[in-house]
Amino acid sequence: MNKSSSSKNFRRVLAQVEPSEFIGRETQLDRIVARAKPEKVQPNLLLLMEPAAGVSELLRQAYDEIFNRQNSVIPIYFAFTRNETTAVSAAIEFLITFLQQYIAFRENDPAIAQSTLTLQELLARAQANDRQWIKELVEEYKRRISGDDTELVRFCLLAPQQIPAERGRPFIMLDGAQLAQYLNGSVQLGKEVVSMLVRGGFNFVLAGLRRQILDATRKALGEAYPTYEFEHMLVTRLTPHESSQLVEQVARRHEVATSEHTRDLLVQQFDGSPFFINAFLQTARAKGKGLTSHFDCQRLYVEELFGGHLHSYFETLLEEISPEVNTRPQLIKLLWNVVSGKRQGQSFADWQELLSLDEDELKTMLGRLHMHEFVNWEAVNIHVATGPDVWTDYLKLRYALDVANKPRALVFGDTLTDLLKRQPTKQGAQVNLGKVVSRFNCQQVPEVLFDYAKFSRKYKGEEPEIIHSGLETDPKLELPQTVYVANCSSLQIQLPQTCEDKHCVIARTFKQRRYSDAQEVVWLVAYLHEKDAVAVNEADARRWCERLKAVGKDFQFGDSQIWLISNSGFTDEALELMEKEHKAFSSNKQQFKLLSDWLGTTGESGVDAESPEGDSGNPGAGNSKPSEFSLEMPFDDENELIAAGTLELLARRLPFRTEAINQIKLAVIEACINVFEHSFSPDRKISQRFRLESDRLVVTISSRGVVPTNLNGASSRSDTTEAAEARRGYGLILIRSLMDEVEFERVDDGTSLRMTKYLRETAS
Amino acid sequence: MDKPSSSLVRSHCVGTTAVVYASDYLNRLTGEKIERECRRQLNCGCRALVIDFSDTKLVNSIGISILLGIIDVAEKSGAKIAFSEVNSQTVQLFEMLGLTQHVVLAKDEHEALLTLSGFETTPIVH
Repeated sequence: MNKSSSSKNFRRVLAQVEPSEFIGRETQLDRIVARAKPEKVQPNLLLLMEPAAGVSELLRQAYDEIFNRQNSVIPIYFAFTRNETTAVSAAIEFLITFLQQYIAFRENDPAIAQSTLTLQELLARAQANDRQWIKELVEEYKRRISGDDTELVRFCLLAPQQIPAERGRPFIMLDGAQLAQYLNGSVQLGKEVVSMLVRGGFNFVLAGLRRQILDATRKALGEAYPTYEFEHMLVTRLTPHESSQLVEQVARRHEVATSEHTRDLLVQQFDGSPFFINAFLQTARAKGKGLTSHFDCQRLYVEELFGGHLHSYFETLLEEISPEVNTRPQLIKLLWNVVSGKRQGQSFADWQELLSLDEDELKTMLGRLHMHEFVNWEAVNIHVATGPDVWTDYLKLRYALDVANKPRALVFGDTLTDLLKRQPTKQGAQVNLGKVVSRFNCQQVPEVLFDYAKFSRKYKGEEPEIIHSGLETDPKLELPQTVYVANCSSLQIQLPQTCEDKHCVIARTFKQRRYSDAQEVVWLVAYLHEKDAVAVNEADARRWCERLKAVGKDFQFGDSQIWLISNSGFTDEALELMEKEHKAFSSNKQQFKLLSDWLGTTGESGVDAESPEGDSGNPGAGNSKPSEFSLEMPFDDENELIAAGTLELLARRLPFRTEAINQIKLAVIEACINVFEHSFSPDRKISQRFRLESDRLVVTISSRGVVPTNLNGASSRSDTTEAAEARRGYGLILIRSLMDEVEFERVDDGTSLRMTKYLRETAS
Repeated sequence: MDKPSSSLVRSHCVGTTAVVYASDYLNRLTGEKIERECRRQLNCGCRALVIDFSDTKLVNSIGISILLGIIDVAEKSGAKIAFSEVNSQTVQLFEMLGLTQHVVLAKDEHEALLTLSGFETTPIVH
């Protein structure tokens, strides 16, 4: 896509950062901007935001991109804010914002969009050929202002309809729609917004919390537009890698000094939320504080929790969720007791009794808690979610202050010391067990990766090349197929202290993809972070195995397989116990990383390839880091050559022979063509990952909605009778002939093709 | 005699043999242009075709399926066909997908013309 942001004449209008500094949302941005067309685009787009994932800057960046194009699409961006207290005032603000941005666009003057002007001032700034319709709009608005609220709200929201067709088509981006339902007054603004956008026939993007916005659109359209459909786009938190980039960039922009370790800490503490990261670093700048030590970071973090941006954010949320001031401490007590494991989840009736609320009041409160994903509520079932660290930290201190009534100074000190003590754990490997375990799909993997004793005997101190070549020939274990993975917290499982929530997962699996009771095995997996880098001893191993076994018993799982992973391995006594009493698998961090590599999950948050510690006790580890590159490109004639050219450059980093490189290039070309020809991808994009390992090159090509030809024995295009078309299907034959391993994988929204070429012969 | 082609495919005729030049990348787009040119030449009375690959670095599977189509058309017209100056990677590809069973592979255009002229002079016995 030719972006106007890459032009030297590009000007920032609403965005708060330069396009080049906007991290981690490129795909979403492209998808939004691609919808800004002069003709009607259907379906319209809902941006479903994970709480605190941040969507505002994404929309502002889209606005600027469209504004700078200066074609016949007029961008309108409006954010519902908490400053507007009623639906009417919010709608009026929308009207003013619309006119302001329209005139700014027509004048091609970003300053107008950034200024605060009255309606009369805006009228005066309008171009002569726009003045008449704007004047009529303003006069009509003045006539309606003292009339019916609902009519006025509708009038304001439909105002963009008044743009004369020859001036262009508005593209409306509404931000923070989740706030709309809280606005007071007699008008349900959320419902009105959705209804008016649909009724007005606009091209629009509506963004809000994922749980709320789906509910709001369903309610708003239920009767009037039962068949109206939206396209959905999920906006989740940033990956650790993206978060790290963001921290580095925002810190640089705000001139806040950081170190590698403090950046890691912020990445983990804020769990990929651009909102929290930005807020925290803004405070550091405002207070003139550097963040070069853990103490600096945690001290400022505690100050923020007590009275800064973070405090305001959660305070406001709690006020919205529980407006009654007397109920709030009870709610905090209830939530904290469950999150901290003091109490199991409660039923609807228990909540009602504990909070002294009637049924409707509780339903309203639970609806809001559910919307913000602090609980998962369905009918009488209420499960409290642990949420990100920053939420549990806030909840903990609010409990100490409001429920336990501890002195503020004491709570401040306790919080700070607890956070400092927590650091060694926080600085461990960035592991997402779920990601790795969810990749189990009947692959053959070296069984030694699940046996710490055997691995240590055979590979301790060996060079990565020797380990890799040894693993190739080691006996293999067939993994089961994982069909579902849940973090322990989501199952309300209490854990021993040395494990974080996401480092303990339960996986429902079947052996050999045979779906029967006899083949079902539940994997109970925990990643232990021991302090002081010592091996797990017998007592800890026993505690963990028994705890996990009890979980299996509590949930009445049938066959189960315990797998413990530890940064530094296990003592002999621990291994003996695990083997004899529990038949448990054991791995250290290096084994886990090798398994992750084997399954292709490194770089996808399975294991952070840049993990700073833990490998020192395992010589050789850390030198075998694979390199991974990714490329995303639109479907277009001959774009496959770009992929092939990129791949050639990368493949030359390994000692592949020219012939092998040509074979890989052709396989990539064929894979791309396959996608171009057969994909039903709505975004018309193809993603490629090139992964260089010491002995192989792995290429993964994926696209949404792909149905590869011949995968099911038939082409996805059945209407062609041309002889040439009938001969199609050579692509996959070629790919299989040219590469050593070819694997298709159906993923949630498409298909992925993984191709591997081994370095069997060295260049001569 | 060189003939300007509407599809920008370079070609010329030597007697009743047409020589058509493939471009550097034989894909759907360039393959279809070659196919049109070959059909045009056959309709104009050519009795043999040489497709020259001296500029061709890459041929993809769609290009191959189009070449198979050209071979079909040529066979149905009773015309012989030869491919000249095919690089080794593409030869392997042609072998892999069975094209070499249907066409003559020649070192260069000259050799292709010589080979085809041999076919032309062979009397047809009923």
